[in-house]
Amino acid sequence: MIDRPSMDTPRFDISAALQRILQDEQISPPLAAILALTELIENSDAGTMFELVKALNDGTQVLKTTTSNPISLNAGCELFTAFVTLFPHDSANFNDLKKELIRQGQQYAADALTYRRKIAQLALGFIKDGSVILTHSYSRVVMQTLLLAHQHKRISVFVTEARPRGLGIKTAEGLSAAGVPSTVILDSAVAYVMDKVDFVLVGSEAVVESGGLVNAVGSNQIAIIARAANKPFYALAESYKFHRLFPLSQYDLPSHNSKILSFPSLSRPEPSVSSSNATIKSANFSATETTHSGHARPDSDSPLRITQEQISQNNPDVDYTRPDLISLVFSDVGSLTPEGVSQYLVGMFAG
Amino acid sequence: MAEVRIAPQHRSVEILASKLRRRSIVGSRATALETLLVLRQVISKARFSNINQLVEIIRSVGRRLVEAQPKEHSVGNTVRKVLHHIREEYQTATRGTSTTTQTSFSISKFVLQGQPKRQATVPKTEIRGTLRENDSDDPDSFARGLKPVLMEAIQDVLDELETVYDNVAKNAKDHIHPDEIILTLGMSRTVETFLKTAAHGRNYTVIVAETAPSYSGREMAKSLSLAGISTFLVPDSSIYGLMSRVNKVILGAHVILANGGMFAITGSLVAATAARAHSTPVVVCAGQFKLTPLWNLYHEYGAHDFGNPSDVLGFEEADLVDKVDVVNPYYDYVHPDLIDAFITNDGDHPPSSIYRHVFNRLLKETYDDEDNEL
Repeated sequence: MIDRPSMDTPRFDISAALQRILQDEQISPPLAAILALTELIENSDAGTMFELVKALNDGTQVLKTTTSNPISLNAGCELFTAFVTLFPHDSANFNDLKKELIRQGQQYAADALTYRRKIAQLALGFIKDGSVILTHSYSRVVMQTLLLAHQHKRISVFVTEARPRGLGIKTAEGLSAAGVPSTVILDSAVAYVMDKVDFVLVGSEAVVESGGLVNAVGSNQIAIIARAANKPFYALAESYKFHRLFPLSQYDLPSHNSKILSFPSLSRPEPSVSSSNATIKSANFSATETTHSGHARPDSDSPLRITQEQISQNNPDVDYTRPDLISLVFSDVGSLTPEGVSQYLVGMFAG
Repeated sequence: MAEVRIAPQHRSVEILASKLRRRSIVGSRATALETLLVLRQVISKARFSNINQLVEIIRSVGRRLVEAQPKEHSVGNTVRKVLHHIREEYQTATRGTSTTTQTSFSISKFVLQGQPKRQATVPKTEIRGTLRENDSDDPDSFARGLKPVLMEAIQDVLDELETVYDNVAKNAKDHIHPDEIILTLGMSRTVETFLKTAAHGRNYTVIVAETAPSYSGREMAKSLSLAGISTFLVPDSSIYGLMSRVNKVILGAHVILANGGMFAITGSLVAATAARAHSTPVVVCAGQFKLTPLWNLYHEYGAHDFGNPSDVLGFEEADLVDKVDVVNPYYDYVHPDLIDAFITNDGDHPPSSIYRHVFNRLLKETYDDEDNEL
């Protein structure tokens, strides 16, 4: 009888549920994770708290494997699991408790959809008329904030292209459609544009315990350039993105793996190669055969080609921005200094 | 709620408002004290039969006063503090009689307030069942029950304001060491008390900048030297030159903002910037009532408070007066990065935790979020 839950849980496909929930454009990964976990509770027949928490942890593990970048999913899972563990209950009937937990999860996800509006309202006070704003990639909360600001003030927006996914173009299209003057700039042109900018506004994947920010790759360099130019760097983050993680460097992020930044073992030792010395290349090729990885192209007749896919394959999706580079974090719980974030995390997870 | 009695335009409120507007009362402590006295009068005369009416009365007075002089932030702070006390007294008074406080735990609450408290809320043994809102038989009974405790609460705030200088100065000896050279400017009563307290049985030197155009530094220098402290009075222009010999800069504040920045008398920014260039610590002495739950982000020159230009260029220079624009800002905005510590009557804080401790701990204890916009 005790074995039943672990037998039954796999029957419910949590990753399919997650994908289905994520279809909704408004739902961000942490919320989707919470909703997926409520469905897991619905489908689990755990009879005790211990079993339930185990089922949730197993579900979290499954969810993590579905994506290369589990950071924001993890934030949602941890929040919900901690909530379940701490939920005060005295009901004799465990099924009632489960129903209540499901209701709480769904209620929260519904409430959380209003958070972006709250954040936009909060950030509005910090945007003055005539501001020139630099933003990075695409973020729903940044979009909402900029669109709200556009209704009240004259703003113009520079948005980075944000390679490799190029989501900055989506931002620029959305803003232009709403009539906000916006220009896409190259990721490499951030320093060039910084002097024209009043402040930087970015969204977030997660805000970690140090107050640092995990966001689409490139945020860190924007923050560094903003600091060098003495421009404020604001992050927008819904409180469900607060994540109990304390990275000390870029490489401590869970999204980092050995493939990122790896050097492909090239078939040629000479740095200067052109198509003319293809013969030398093929001669060396046989010597280094054993060290080949899948990345290096063994076709010796054509020059070495580097494709966009190859580049994005061994490049990170997200990076970590140190808290001292961040001026303020706007969240639904208030506008916080980066240090303020840790206080909420400690409240939830410590003690 | 059509019949909410807005405070009958109290004479005292109007008098204070016009005094504030005409700047016959200036300074954060003086305005805080006056505001508190007016609020006490308003409460003692007010007629209300439930908490919302009372809060609305106080708020309308607060709005009136803040509108009269938006640059004196301690007026708003005092009103916020009184409102906070009203709610607190109301809650302790009605606890046990109302059954609305059912513990409901939700994820958003979990995020906001952290883990649920283990201890069950022990119902207060003293049950003041007499406090009944909206009593149709006796509409004044609520006010009669609540007023005495409110008066006590206001008295506490008043006491705090009256003892603020001594309480800020109580640890002065930990901050000023023998034979140090301290630089200060302006005439801040808080700093004056602080320096004098530190001087008991200890020799150190104070350099006071004149602080043009008010020259309040002269008054400060006189007062300090009368207290037996070795004092130098220097022109403002030599602040940078002297900084290499200074061990510590001690400044007063007009208002401290939630981000840890502050408004302080003109010249403070010069001193703080010069101190930064020499890595000299900058310490700010201020009472807790100067902490404001507001952010000032755009410190445009025009957003500052301007004084009388004749202090800078008088009419004796008549042939110049129509040829130049003369501005005389009262305050400088000093960025939090330039300040090392705030010494308050509620402990010492670095600027970064003005936000963290102050907004969340102190300010939540002092003010309620909903009152940030009066």
